Amino acid sequence: MMENEYILRLQGITKSFPGVKALDGVSFDVKRGTIHALVGENGAGKSTLIKILAGIYHADEGALHFNGRDNVAFRTPHESHQAGIGVVHQEIKLADPLTVAENMFVGNLVYTKLGLVDWKTMKKRARQIIRDLGIDIDVNAPVSALSVAKQQIVEICKAVNLEMKLLIMDEPSATLTERELEIMFGIVRKLRDEGITIIYISHRLDEIFELADMVTVLRDGKHIGTVPVSSVTRDRLIAMMVGRELGQQYPKEEIAIGETVLEAKGIVRRGVLKDISFSVKKGEIFGISGLVDSGRTELARAILGIDRLDSGEVFVRGKKVNYRGFRDAIHDGLGLIPEDRKKQGLVQIFDIKTNICMVNLKKVIRAGIVRKRLVNRYGTEYAKKLRVVMPSLETQVQFLSGGNQQKVVVAKWLMQDSEILILDEPTRGIDVGAKAEIYRLMTEMVKEGKTVIVISSEMPELLGMCDRIMVMHEGQKKGELTREEANQERIMALCV
Amino acid sequence: MSQVGARAAKENPVLKALSKFSKDFMSVLGIIFLGAILSLTTEKFLQWDNLKLILLQSSTVAICALGQAIILLTGNFDLSLGRNVAFTSCLGALLMKGMLYDGMAPMNPTLVILIILAAGTFIGVCNGLLTAYVGLPAFIATLGLQNVCYGLAKVITNATPIATFPNSIAWLGRGFAFPEILKKNLPWCVVLMLGIYIFAQFIFTKTKLGRNIYAVGGNKEAAFFAGINVKRYTFLAFVMAGFLAAFSGVVLMSRLNSVAITNGQSYEFDAVIGSIIGGISLTGGKGRLIGTMFGIIFVMLLFNGMTQWKVDAFMQDVLKGIVLVIAVTLDVLRNRKRV
Repeated sequence: MMENEYILRLQGITKSFPGVKALDGVSFDVKRGTIHALVGENGAGKSTLIKILAGIYHADEGALHFNGRDNVAFRTPHESHQAGIGVVHQEIKLADPLTVAENMFVGNLVYTKLGLVDWKTMKKRARQIIRDLGIDIDVNAPVSALSVAKQQIVEICKAVNLEMKLLIMDEPSATLTERELEIMFGIVRKLRDEGITIIYISHRLDEIFELADMVTVLRDGKHIGTVPVSSVTRDRLIAMMVGRELGQQYPKEEIAIGETVLEAKGIVRRGVLKDISFSVKKGEIFGISGLVDSGRTELARAILGIDRLDSGEVFVRGKKVNYRGFRDAIHDGLGLIPEDRKKQGLVQIFDIKTNICMVNLKKVIRAGIVRKRLVNRYGTEYAKKLRVVMPSLETQVQFLSGGNQQKVVVAKWLMQDSEILILDEPTRGIDVGAKAEIYRLMTEMVKEGKTVIVISSEMPELLGMCDRIMVMHEGQKKGELTREEANQERIMALCV
Repeated sequence: MSQVGARAAKENPVLKALSKFSKDFMSVLGIIFLGAILSLTTEKFLQWDNLKLILLQSSTVAICALGQAIILLTGNFDLSLGRNVAFTSCLGALLMKGMLYDGMAPMNPTLVILIILAAGTFIGVCNGLLTAYVGLPAFIATLGLQNVCYGLAKVITNATPIATFPNSIAWLGRGFAFPEILKKNLPWCVVLMLGIYIFAQFIFTKTKLGRNIYAVGGNKEAAFFAGINVKRYTFLAFVMAGFLAAFSGVVLMSRLNSVAITNGQSYEFDAVIGSIIGGISLTGGKGRLIGTMFGIIFVMLLFNGMTQWKVDAFMQDVLKGIVLVIAVTLDVLRNRKRV
């Protein structure tokens, strides 16, 4: 029977928003008990599709068959939940101060005969679920005390507890390190072997090849294809996603390396950074690798004067600096593209041009007055330079896709024209096309004699773009590799 | 349904323009609408004296409300503004009449005005320091200052009203601009209100100070990472509000020619109602300051209307509370994000 073989069948799902057709007649089937990857560039329609499955949006047209029920339409997230669809969002949605067990049973409490909350049973069941997944998390620990990876696992446990039949995982890997990822993969496989179907969304193609059975590609709201993972190559998959063959992925060029422009000596921040020294030369792309909590972002913050140093010295262009705040560093020609573009990079309710002109406001002010004409001119110039795909310059950035949002963040720092730019996870969660733009810009910057420092969890991009890579672990510098020396294994060996 | 409506608005330029106008100037539409109802249902409303009175009453509230609006732009809130008005106007009255302590001589009115403007600004400085630099929640810091101001007003006046001030300050609240030409139809305080709002509107859309305050309110963290001194701009917003509250106190003192500790009571709430109706968002970073002025005029129109409709004075407070809740609800609905 079809109904039994396929847990989910989509037929001609269409969904429009003012001005955009987010989904255009999407049809595909998801086999029961498989890991089904869903890929596509930002704006391809993945999120919209998931929101329809989760009961947040409603399809304008088309039919949805789920678990033997024909023509289901989830009017609310609750209905979707009841039917057996669980979503693990990219941003974790747990109640921080509550314990793991409490979170797993939120909205699904077990009561004793007296009508009181039955903690004993719930904790027992929580422990059981966690143990079955082969991991070790204390059910009494508050969620806030767990690492991001473990929080994500708690989200999964929650779904398992609710006996979900279909689990949708929206970029679970975006914030995880390689090792945490392995654990996550183990859990996902185990769930599949227990008969749970998983729809897995990721921008990292490696993961899809490692984990998924089937893959569906969406592009511009259309279904491009659904194929067994074993039958496609990486290049073929990328071609399906972008609709063209991408040129060279990492546009690395040989550039004359100049004198040292930034030097850190013995940087210490108690409990966070331990005696870190390194130097970066003009025209270099310098990579900083390491696990998420290895102190990479903290190092950047310390150098930029955001956090105080307990000891150590920073030299910029050979001169010792003592920044009292980030603003001092900016005035001295440094810049930072922060890791969380939504919260730290952009004012979501402002339009594109206002965001672009935010750092270098001076440039659009004449005689103390912000000139609209200049805001428009520079807004247009830099948006064009980064090839931001947008309805207009007046569009609020919250309506842009992740990749285009990141381009706007980069644009505002290009306008500032910083000599030394630190990019913290510049390509996290953005699509291949936008990534290519960011890489192209990094190359262009160093060509203009600037210096780029990239902090990244994505090893291929560090290996592809950087002249040297520094590896950090638990606040310490574990080593430094030149472009020639560096490979995935060597970095990994230093990371852990 | 709403999406269908939104789509229609997107496609039809007339509807689009209308929808944008109504979003930006909901308060103006509200004034027209309410004014129409009032003129149809009451006799007195349309009389020029009544309209003038509404504008007069609006002016002091609106001047104070501008401060609240600026603070709302930073995503904060000031509970002390109304009591700031009370304290500064009481202090001014005592200084002008030489009643602050036994044997005190009356002071020069101009000097007094400068002193109380400084006093009001100082209260703003306290709020700003506590909120921006010490890191207290604005709610607590300004609640504290609210009580301090009210307490001080009671202490210095012994809670008794004080009346009749030198004629030299009468023009501020009771005088008319170009009395011969305009036949005493344009009160100075209305001119002041307009002037201050136009000035503020200009500053906040066209200068670094204004843009950065919007940025801080729009997203504090992103503003920080764009090199904006978040603390300083938050602080400045409170300082400006303190100054404006004191200024409102000066005008109020002159307009009523008497002061009492109840002066400025609930101005901070009226200000919030006015600001939100005027399009300022409670979450910060959004809205036009000039809208607040229209919002306040709308609120005063409503109060005037309630009096015309002979709504009991105590009942008016109840309705005011309801209006506040409705206004905030509108703000929440307006800013509801697509999930």
